[in-house]
Amino acid sequence: MQQAIPYKSWPLPCIDATSHRARSTTTLGHNGRGKDVLNIVSENAVIVLARKGCCMSHVVRRLLLTLGVNPAVHEIDEENEAGILNELGTICKGTENNKMVQLPAVFIGGRLFGGLDKVMATHISGDLISVLKDAGALWL
Amino acid sequence: MNSPTPQFVPSRLGIYEPIHQIGIWGENFKSNGNPNTSTSVIVEVDNKLENESETTSHEMLTASNNYKQEASKPIDKIQRRLAQNREAARKSRLRKKAYVQQLENSRLKLIQLEQELQRARQQGLYMGGVLEGSHIGFSGTVNSGIAAFEMEYGRWVDVQHRQICELRTALNAHISDIELRILVESGIGHYFELFRMKSTVAKADVFYVISGVWKTSAERFFSWIGGFRPSELLKLDPLTEQQILEVCNLKQSCQQAEDALSQGMEKLQETVSSTVAGGPVDEVSYIPQVATAMEKLEALVSFVNQADHLRQETLQQMSRILTTRQAARGLLALGEYFHRLRALSTLWATRPPEPSLP
Repeated sequence: MQQAIPYKSWPLPCIDATSHRARSTTTLGHNGRGKDVLNIVSENAVIVLARKGCCMSHVVRRLLLTLGVNPAVHEIDEENEAGILNELGTICKGTENNKMVQLPAVFIGGRLFGGLDKVMATHISGDLISVLKDAGALWL
Repeated sequence: MNSPTPQFVPSRLGIYEPIHQIGIWGENFKSNGNPNTSTSVIVEVDNKLENESETTSHEMLTASNNYKQEASKPIDKIQRRLAQNREAARKSRLRKKAYVQQLENSRLKLIQLEQELQRARQQGLYMGGVLEGSHIGFSGTVNSGIAAFEMEYGRWVDVQHRQICELRTALNAHISDIELRILVESGIGHYFELFRMKSTVAKADVFYVISGVWKTSAERFFSWIGGFRPSELLKLDPLTEQQILEVCNLKQSCQQAEDALSQGMEKLQETVSSTVAGGPVDEVSYIPQVATAMEKLEALVSFVNQADHLRQETLQQMSRILTTRQAARGLLALGEYFHRLRALSTLWATRPPEPSLP
């Protein structure tokens, strides 16, 4: 049964504006498609894809918050998980790793950045802030 | 001490003295175990005997005219009694020595057993709690995973100790930077080895890792998500200004990452708690709640892995910031720190018990 997918739109990141404050948590409905997820991903400077109620996504969010970034969090239902991950896998194959996308997954500047591992490692080595700045997620 | 046979005074004394003496020894030993009193009693008795035997032998001599035929007998009997007494006293002293020796051994063994029991009880307590109502098969797998880890960890600590000593001698001997670098690399790699081991056993039983039972008590006091706090690594004195800046940044990043993980853990606790408590309380069946909670607890494994990953990254970043020599000193300080914590734990475990109030 086709349904209009509840889709919340938010303003595209504008360079003139101050920090990107479009915090929103969306849950794709029963007919969520990977394509829509890709749209969301490309429209946000920073977005975290996570399972519902995942505590690790909480960790990622808190870490990004302390850096001054308010990431969008997109929760994926269990049913859609496999489909969405597949879609993302095919898209992201060209970039870095060919392995399956792990959740929670962080997208910076519309591209897959990595999981919590990658975020932590980049943060410790001091590179995370510059990566975020380049993607326009951080000003100052 | 009156005997039914009145003929020979010495024999009367001879029959009863040794028994009396042993009795005294036994009583003294029961009361305060002071060896001196017993010996003195024996000596007293010996003296007493000798005095009395002198008087009796004197009496015997005066009476010897009356008992010519049996004149030699009493003296022999006196001598024999004395000899027997000495023999009995000697045997008594030997027995006492053996008894004291046995007591000392038992005391040491008791301390050892108490320590083992303590350790086993801690393991048994939560293992019993976690595995309550579970199958023998599962607990068997968990036990073997844990047993394997414990053996490996014991070896790990030994190797760690050896590495620390090598580092110390190397630093004092002023060996070349290249050789020092090798030691530093193997030291860091050794920690990575521990993280791998922990990851494996966490899959078998994550509560085992998180509870920190595998560590000594003092180390456990400082435990954070199944190990040391990554920021513990940053207790060094770097030299250049650039280094100070870099370490400062690292400290901040480390702290932020730790906080994020801690908050995630709190969230997990809240989630599990509300899941377990959920559902109507007046219903007998709580299986759904507990089953759901178990699923959520799977996340704990990721937390342990992430915490170890953070430790790993911090170690690597430190080795990037510092020179070889500084890194060597840092590793030495870190290893020595944990070694001292372990020593503290042992000392704590064998401290004398508090005296009971009178």
